[in-house]
Amino acid sequence: MQILAIDTALGAASACVLMQGQAEPVAGETLLMERGHAEALLPLVDRVMARVEGGFDALSRIAVTIGPGSFTGIRVGLSAARAIGLACAVPVVGVSVLASLAAPLFAENETSVAVAVVDARHGNIYFQPFAPGGRALSPPRLSSLRDAVRWIGAGPFRMAGPGARALAAEAQNFGLRADVVGALSAPEIAFVARLGLISDPETALPRPLYLKPPDARPQDDGRIARV
Amino acid sequence: MDVLGIETTCDETAAAVVRMRPEGGGDILSNEISSQVAEHAAYGGVVPEIAARAHLEVIDRLIARALDAAGTTLRRLDAIAAAAGPGLVGGVIVGLTTAKALALAARKPFIAVNHLEAHALTARLTDGVNFPYLLLLVSGGHTQLVAVNGVGDYSRLGTTLDDAVGEAFDKVAKMLGLPYPGGPHVEREALKGNPTRFDLPRPMLGRPAADFSLSGLKTAVRIEAERVAPLTATDVGDLCASFQAAIIDLIVDRARAGLRAFRERKGHPEAFVVAGGVASNAAIRRAIARFAGEAGLRLVIPPPNLCTDNGAMIAWTGIERLRLGLIDDMTFAARPRWPLDTNAEPVQHGKA
Repeated sequence: MQILAIDTALGAASACVLMQGQAEPVAGETLLMERGHAEALLPLVDRVMARVEGGFDALSRIAVTIGPGSFTGIRVGLSAARAIGLACAVPVVGVSVLASLAAPLFAENETSVAVAVVDARHGNIYFQPFAPGGRALSPPRLSSLRDAVRWIGAGPFRMAGPGARALAAEAQNFGLRADVVGALSAPEIAFVARLGLISDPETALPRPLYLKPPDARPQDDGRIARV
Repeated sequence: MDVLGIETTCDETAAAVVRMRPEGGGDILSNEISSQVAEHAAYGGVVPEIAARAHLEVIDRLIARALDAAGTTLRRLDAIAAAAGPGLVGGVIVGLTTAKALALAARKPFIAVNHLEAHALTARLTDGVNFPYLLLLVSGGHTQLVAVNGVGDYSRLGTTLDDAVGEAFDKVAKMLGLPYPGGPHVEREALKGNPTRFDLPRPMLGRPAADFSLSGLKTAVRIEAERVAPLTATDVGDLCASFQAAIIDLIVDRARAGLRAFRERKGHPEAFVVAGGVASNAAIRRAIARFAGEAGLRLVIPPPNLCTDNGAMIAWTGIERLRLGLIDDMTFAARPRWPLDTNAEPVQHGKA
C-alpha cells in the first residue's frame, strides 16, 4: 500500500508519499507558511507526485490532517484530499493534527506524558495529552492555558506544536516539569503518512475537527413590531 | 465536449455536467444543488464560516452524484471548472481546491470561472444568444448592467452604488419579520397588498448614468413602517407591494438608461438578458418583458433554477473558455472581488 499524506492545518503546506513497510517517504515537500496554503498546496502535490513512479495511479490511500488548526487550512487539505480520493477511487482517512504532533514524541521510548498543543488564539489552546506508548489520555480539547494545566495532570511533560511554548511556560509557573521537544509549526508530514497507514478508513473519516463553533449570533435587531 | 462545473461562492453548493451542442448552446446532463438556506435562516443572512463548513460537508458527494446523474465519469470529462470568485472566500476555496485537485489527479484541464461571467453567459447555454447583448444582473450580491461583448470581454454600463436589489429585498423582509431569504416572501406579501398606499422614493430615476441606489428606498420603507407600527398583516402586504412597485420602476428606468448607453457604444444589442436570483420574481419579470417589448428587444430570461446560483452556468462558462483555449493552472487564487469589467472604476461600498 502506498499513501499520499497532506497537511495544511497549521503553519505549513506539506505532502509526502510513503510506501507501507518503508521507513522514509518516497517523495515529500514541506513549505512553512502562515497564509497562502490554498495557492501553494496543489502545485506542491504536483511536484511530489512527479517524483512517484506511476503517479496518482500508484496511490492506494490518501491521508489528511483534519484539525484542530486554521479553519481555512483544514478545509484546503480536506477538499484536496477528498477530491484526489474521488479521482483515484481510493479511500481517504482523516488524521488528527494533535496525534500527528505527538507521534514523534512517543516514538522515542520515553516515560513522560506527551502533550500536543495548538494555538487557538485569544489565550486559548487546543491540546491533547498522550501516555507513553501513544494512548490518548483525553479527547482533543479547547481551553485556556490555565485550565489546560489543570487537565493534563502532574507531569513531567514533553510538549510539541505551535502552542507548546505557551503551555510549557504556564505549566512551569505551576511548578511542573515541561520540556518543549517536538515540531513547533506543523506536524512532520511523514508521521501523518504513518498514522494514515495504520488508520481504519471505516472510522478515521476525512471530516473536519474544528473544536470551535462558527462565530455567529442569531440576529433579531431592527425588526419592527407587529400586531 | 463535456465539462464539470462547481459553484461554492455563496450559500448554495452546486455541481453540474454540461455538454456542448455542435449547433450552439448546451445540454445540461446533470445539475445537482445543495442549499444551505436553513442553516443561515436564524442569522438573517449568510454567515461566511457556516457557509464554508456546509460546502465542505457535501461537495465531494454532490460531485459524485452529478457525475452519476450525467451517466459519465471524471475520466470522460474534457475539463473541470470551478467558480473562483467573486464571493465569500472561505466557500470559494472549498470549491476551487476541490476542482484543482480533481483536475490534477485526473489529468484534466482546469478552468477558473468568474461567477458573474457565468451568470452573464447562461443565456448562451439556454438560448444560444449571440454577442453582443445587454445584461441586467440582479441578485442578492450583485446589481449591474453590462454590455456582454464576448467571452471575457465586458463593459460595465452601470452598477449599484450601495445595496444589491436582492439584498434590499432581504433587508425589508427582515425588518417586517418575514423569514430569510426575503425575496420570495416579500413577493408573496406584495400580491395581497396595495402598491400605491406608501409613496416610496425611486432613487436615481431619470439619471443618464445607468447606476442604481437602493439604500434610500430601504430606509424609506423603515420610516413608513415605523410610522404605522405595530404592523397589521395588511400593513405588511401594503409595504411589500409599495416597495416592490418602487423596485420595478427603478429596474425598468435603469434598464432604459443601460440600453441607451449600450446603443451609444455598440449599436443594437442581439438580446436583453436578465440573470440573477431577483429575475425569478414574477412581477419583475413581467415589467421587464413589457419594457423589452416596447424597446424592440429580444428578451432572454433563463429559467429560475438557472437564474439563481447553480453548477451548470459554471460548467457552461468552462466550455466557452476551453473552446478558446483559456485554461488556468494550479496556483489560481480565490478572488473575493472580481469585477467583470476590469476597466470600470471600483464603486465605494457598492456590491459590484
